Amino acid sequence: MNDKITGTNILFSVLKKDILLYSRNTLYLFLTTLSLVFFIVIFWLVPDTVDEDITLAVSPSIRTMVLEGKEYLESRGVPGFLLQLIDEEDIALSEEGLSLVEFDNEAMMIKALKGEIDVFKNADGKFIPYDQSIDGEKPADAKKIRLDMGISFSPSFIGEVLHGDVSSVTIYLDAEVPDDIKVALQGFIREMAFQLAGRDMPVEFPAEDAIIIGYDRLGDQISMRDKMIPMIAFFMLMMETFALASLISNEVLQRTITALLVTPLRVWHFLMAKTIFGTLLAMGQVTLILLLTGAFSASNWALLLLTVLLGSLLFTAVAMVVGAAGKDFIGQLMFSFIFLIPLMIPAFSVLFPGSVAAWVSYLPSYPIVDLFYSVSILDASWADSLQSLLLAFFWVVVLYSAGLFILKRKVDTL
Amino acid sequence: MAEPAVKVNDLSHWYGDLQAVKDVSFTIMPGEILGFLGPNGAGKSTTIKVLTGQLSLKKGNAVILGRDVGKDDPDLQSQIGVTFEEKNLYLEMTALENLNFFASLFGIKEPKSLEALQRVGLADRAKDRVATYSKGMRQRLMIARAFINKPKVLFLDEPTDGLDPVTATEIRRTIKEEADRGAAVLLTTHNMHEADELSDRVAFINEGGLVALDTAENLKLKYGKRSVRVRLRDGDSVREENLPLDGEGSSSRLSELASSPDLMTIHTEEATLEAIFIQLTGRGLVG
Repeated sequence: MNDKITGTNILFSVLKKDILLYSRNTLYLFLTTLSLVFFIVIFWLVPDTVDEDITLAVSPSIRTMVLEGKEYLESRGVPGFLLQLIDEEDIALSEEGLSLVEFDNEAMMIKALKGEIDVFKNADGKFIPYDQSIDGEKPADAKKIRLDMGISFSPSFIGEVLHGDVSSVTIYLDAEVPDDIKVALQGFIREMAFQLAGRDMPVEFPAEDAIIIGYDRLGDQISMRDKMIPMIAFFMLMMETFALASLISNEVLQRTITALLVTPLRVWHFLMAKTIFGTLLAMGQVTLILLLTGAFSASNWALLLLTVLLGSLLFTAVAMVVGAAGKDFIGQLMFSFIFLIPLMIPAFSVLFPGSVAAWVSYLPSYPIVDLFYSVSILDASWADSLQSLLLAFFWVVVLYSAGLFILKRKVDTL
Repeated sequence: MAEPAVKVNDLSHWYGDLQAVKDVSFTIMPGEILGFLGPNGAGKSTTIKVLTGQLSLKKGNAVILGRDVGKDDPDLQSQIGVTFEEKNLYLEMTALENLNFFASLFGIKEPKSLEALQRVGLADRAKDRVATYSKGMRQRLMIARAFINKPKVLFLDEPTDGLDPVTATEIRRTIKEEADRGAAVLLTTHNMHEADELSDRVAFINEGGLVALDTAENLKLKYGKRSVRVRLRDGDSVREENLPLDGEGSSSRLSELASSPDLMTIHTEEATLEAIFIQLTGRGLVG
C-alpha cells in the first residue's frame, strides 16, 4: 500500500537514511567522540582563574638599598637627622597589583629569571628563592612561581636619587615578554625616582587614575578556560563540516544521487535534507559542548542558541561546497583545509586579544566567533550583539547560496 | 489497441558540440521488451538518461505513460524503474535497508523488500552490508531496487554487463517476469545473445542514430543470409561445404550433396544479430 508521496515524507526518508549512514561512519563517529572528550578535558584542565598581580624581581633588597642609600648620602655630608627620615617602610615600591621578589644580588636574580633557581610563594605571600643544590628540601606549602621581569638597581639608588645624582638601572626581561612592558617598566622607575626625590610628576591625574569604558573587569578577568569556549564551539562546528562533507561527497562519488533523482525525489529535497541534517548535527553537538562547559546562562541562552544555529548553517554551507568540490577523500580533505584554515583564524584571535589584524574581521567566521565570545563570556545583550548577528546572517546567506549553487551544479552535471 | 507505454519522436541530445543521439524514434508497448543494441558510446545510455530525466530533453518529444518527458513530474518518476551502468548503491547500508529506503521515496508503506530480494536470490544476504557484496550480487540488488515500486516502465542499462553466465541468466529471467507482469522494458545491451533471447523487438543504434528496428526474426530474415553447411566424409578426414540458399544453382548442388554416399550431416545456418549489425553499420558490437 502506498502513502501519498509528499515532500515531507521524502525529506523524512532521506534524513533517516543520512542518520543511518552517519551512524555507520566509524571514522567520523570516533573523531566526533574524541573531539567531545578532548575539548571537555582540555577545558576543565586549563586554569579558570587569572592572577592579576604583576610579579617583579628586584635586586638588591629594599633594606639593602635603604642602608646603602643612607651611607651614600652620609658620605656626601647629608646631616644625620635627615637620614633618620629615610625609612624602609616609606619606600613605596610595592603598589596594588605589583608583587616584588627581592634578591640580595643581581647574579642571583638573573639565575631566577633564567630558571636556574626556583622561587616559591608561601601562604603568607612571602617569596622564597630556592636553589636545589644549596637549600635541600623544597619549601613546604608553597607554590612555585615564574619570574620573567626583573630590575637591577644600583645598591645606592635611593641615595643617588635623593642627592640628585644620576643612577643606573638595568631591566631584565624574558624573551617572551612583549616589548611594551620594557617601556612600562622604564616609566615605572622614572615615577619611582620622582617620588623618592620628592618631586611630583609633571602630569596630574583626576581622582580616579583611569576611567574604564564599559564593564570594569578588575578582579573579574577572563580566564583562559573561559576564553576557550568560542574556540571549542568553533572546532566542534568544524568537525561536523568534515562529517557532512563526507556524506555529500559519497552521494556524488558513488553516484547514489543519480539513483535518487529518478525517483519522486527532487534536487531541492536532497539539498534541504542535507541542510537540515548538517545543521541539526552541528547544533546538537555544539549545544552539548556548550552545556558541558557551562556557557549557557539564564540571560544568554536564546542568543547563544541563535549563534549556534547561525554557526551551524554557515558550516553546513561550507560542507556543501567541500562535498561537491572534492573528487575523492584526499580532494575533500584538501578543499576542507583550503576553506577551514582561514576560517579558524578568528577562533585563535580570542586567545590573543589585541593581536588581530583588521582583515580578520572580514572573514565569514569572525562574527560567529565574536558572538560566541561576547555572548558566552561577556554576557552581551541582544542590542550589543545586533551588528555581529547581522554580519553573521549576511555571511550565512552568502555561503549558503554559494554552497547550494555549487552542489546543485554538481548534481546537474553528473 | 493499447496505447504505447513509451513513445519517442525525433529525440536528439548533444554534449556540447557532440551529438550523442540523433533523431531517434520508437515506441514500447506495455509488456514489451525493446532491446537497444549497440556498441559503447552509440547513444544507448544517453537515450535512457533523457527519458528518465537525468538529462534534459533538448530536441524532439517523448511521452511515457501519457506524460511528457522533460517536465519535472514526480508522478511519472514514481511509475518508472531504472538500473544504471554504475553500481550506485549505499554500500554502508544492508540490501534490505537500501530497498526499504528507496521504497519509502515512492511512498510505499509496507515494502516487500524481502520478497524482492528473494526474486533475485539475495534473501539470505538481506541483512549484510552491500560493501561485502560481489559485483554480481550488487547488480542483482540494482535489479531488485528497480522493481521495488512495481514500475510500469523499466529502463535497464546494461543489466548483465560483466556478470557470470549463471547470474546473467537469473537476471534475464527476472526481467522477463517483469515484462510478463505488464511492464514496458527498454533494455540497453551490447550483448546480442541477450537482445535475441529477451527482446520482443530489437533496435540497432550506432553513432547516435537508429539503424534498424524490428523483431529479431524479421531482422534476420530481412538482412541475414541463409545458408546450409554440409559435412562430407573425405577418405579419413571430414570436408565441409557452405551453400547460400538464395544463390543461383545452390538448390541443385544441395540435392547433389544430399544424395552423396559420403554425406554425414546437413545444418541450416541462420544469421546472427551481430552479423547483421556489422553488415548494417560496418562495425562490431564491442568497442
